[in-house]
Amino acid sequence: MRDQTLKYLLVVPAVLVVFATAVWPLIESLRFSFYQGRTDRGDFPQNWLGFENYTWAFLYEPAFWNSVWVTGLYTVVTVTLTTLFALGLAMLLAPGGKLRSGVQTLLILPFAMSPALIGVSFRFMFNPEFGLFDAFFGVVFPPLADVSWLADPDLAFAVIVMADVWGWIPFLTLVLIGGLASVPQDTIEAAQVDGASGWRVFKDVTLPQLMPVLAVVIILKAIFSLKTFDQVFMLTNGGPGTATQTLSHYIYITSTRYGQVGYAASVAWLMVIPMMVLTYFYAKFVFKKD
Amino acid sequence: MAEIRLNNLTKRWGDFVGVDDQSLHIKDEEFLVLLGPSGCGKTTTMRMIAGLEDPTAGEIWIGDRMVNDDLPKDRDVAMVFQNYGLYPHMTIFDNIAYPLKVRGTPKADIEPRVKKAAEQVELTEFLHRKPKALSGGQRQRVALARAIVRTPKVFLMDEPLSNLDAKLRVTMRAELKHLSRELQITTVYVTHDQIEAMTLADRVAVMKNGVIQQLGTPDDIYNDPANMFVAGFIGSPAMNLINGSVQSGMFVTTGGTKLVGIGAPDRETAILGVRADDMSVHDAGQGDIDVSIYAFENTGESTLLTVQWGKQRVIARGDRHLRKEQGETVGIKLDPDHLYLFDPDSGDRIRLGGK
Repeated sequence: MRDQTLKYLLVVPAVLVVFATAVWPLIESLRFSFYQGRTDRGDFPQNWLGFENYTWAFLYEPAFWNSVWVTGLYTVVTVTLTTLFALGLAMLLAPGGKLRSGVQTLLILPFAMSPALIGVSFRFMFNPEFGLFDAFFGVVFPPLADVSWLADPDLAFAVIVMADVWGWIPFLTLVLIGGLASVPQDTIEAAQVDGASGWRVFKDVTLPQLMPVLAVVIILKAIFSLKTFDQVFMLTNGGPGTATQTLSHYIYITSTRYGQVGYAASVAWLMVIPMMVLTYFYAKFVFKKD
Repeated sequence: MAEIRLNNLTKRWGDFVGVDDQSLHIKDEEFLVLLGPSGCGKTTTMRMIAGLEDPTAGEIWIGDRMVNDDLPKDRDVAMVFQNYGLYPHMTIFDNIAYPLKVRGTPKADIEPRVKKAAEQVELTEFLHRKPKALSGGQRQRVALARAIVRTPKVFLMDEPLSNLDAKLRVTMRAELKHLSRELQITTVYVTHDQIEAMTLADRVAVMKNGVIQQLGTPDDIYNDPANMFVAGFIGSPAMNLINGSVQSGMFVTTGGTKLVGIGAPDRETAILGVRADDMSVHDAGQGDIDVSIYAFENTGESTLLTVQWGKQRVIARGDRHLRKEQGETVGIKLDPDHLYLFDPDSGDRIRLGGK
């Protein structure tokens, strides 16, 4: 057999697997999004609805808009917090920074933990009767000891944000350390000699040169925040009520609990729009040509 | 404008000694070159003056102020970096203007001063470009302009020409010299290139292993080296160092050839230093010693003869019209006024009759 033919044959199994596990489900979900597809009735999917699932989400579903709002807020808050913390840590950990290797290794740990584990641990830590925070505040500031963190809409949201930021800081820090290492040291020293204070060196010289990496980090984190499901599922299951229900969780609930697969598929495809926008900018920054 | 005083300056990283208890007084408006091989402590010394490195011990004075605890920005120095250190995201104009901007110069003053600095280094037409769009030589000029745009007390230059190609380096060297004479600002210049040191310096400090080996004018350094290291480091080709001994006032090579009379007491081992230019090439039998030619090189402006001298090879410089063949025997005569004798163990210079 000729090498030309053989090399394509060798790739075929991988292509088939990708097609079966990714491409085909994608196409199917797009098809379902135009049907009435309920799992609690026979003959799946049922009637062709055209764009009715989509318009339904926009016009008649406050729960959809609630999850859009929660997801948007969640994305803005987590991206901002994670980036700021990661940038600060990266400045301390970068070559020439004030902390070094041992600490660096230790800080990677949260990223090595599975999201489920993070969720369970945070849920346990915030347990109002025997959680870590209960014990801590019991000693330090008793009025906060018996707060049911996950039962209050705002607090529950804050706890999820906290767990997510905590879990994502290490990865973003690592990427930013790499970015900082590629900022030429002599430009920083030149600025110091030229008369710039520490803050101005950062603002005028370090930050502009870090911008391409920073942009990639922000977009990447925004993509991950937009599709957050695991922390919500583990910590609050969208509650109390729907106070912490993100889009991913809303899609999950409507399709599995309420059996509305067609409608859930259409919401999932609506989510593709912001994702595409972010991915476009991500690709633009990553594959930027000078 | 100011003088610089380094008092017992030391820099250590763990066990490694970068600069070892050195004192140096750089006069006002002087152009001082720190010269030495890589790792000799010259750049470290300069970085300590700039404030980019903290000394382990000792004092740094600029003018009448001890600056040890001052940040670089408060020392009023300007520095040119080996890799230029230009801000890649700023235009050339903004690069040159930056030292003025961060020091709160009124906006109206900035533009004329940037333009003047750009004129001095002949960059006027590139002010709107980014550093990326300039050649190495042009970037070097930007770095220079950024240093001269304000009038600092001290200029620091860290191997500013080493990234340029050979031809450009010669041009830029002359421009640097011209500029420094014009500006008359105390300058410390670090290089490993002895030609740069010889041509630019008022005084040269030759360093090795964190210690200044000799401090003097380029003339002193070239014609009156303090030790074997300085003798071997300055000059191209390097000074010939011939092993031998001194017997009844004659220098005798290890091979047993009586070479030349020198006014030094007898000693068992000695090293004779002689520069290629201080040897003259004659016909066989006409010089102090007959040697055979190992290699003959014509550089255009002169000729270089590598000759086999017992077990050693020695380089002599001949007239540019001289033509010899490999293997030929020639007579070499040494200029008795320009011979140097060294102790092979310590490397110290052994002074000859009154010199």
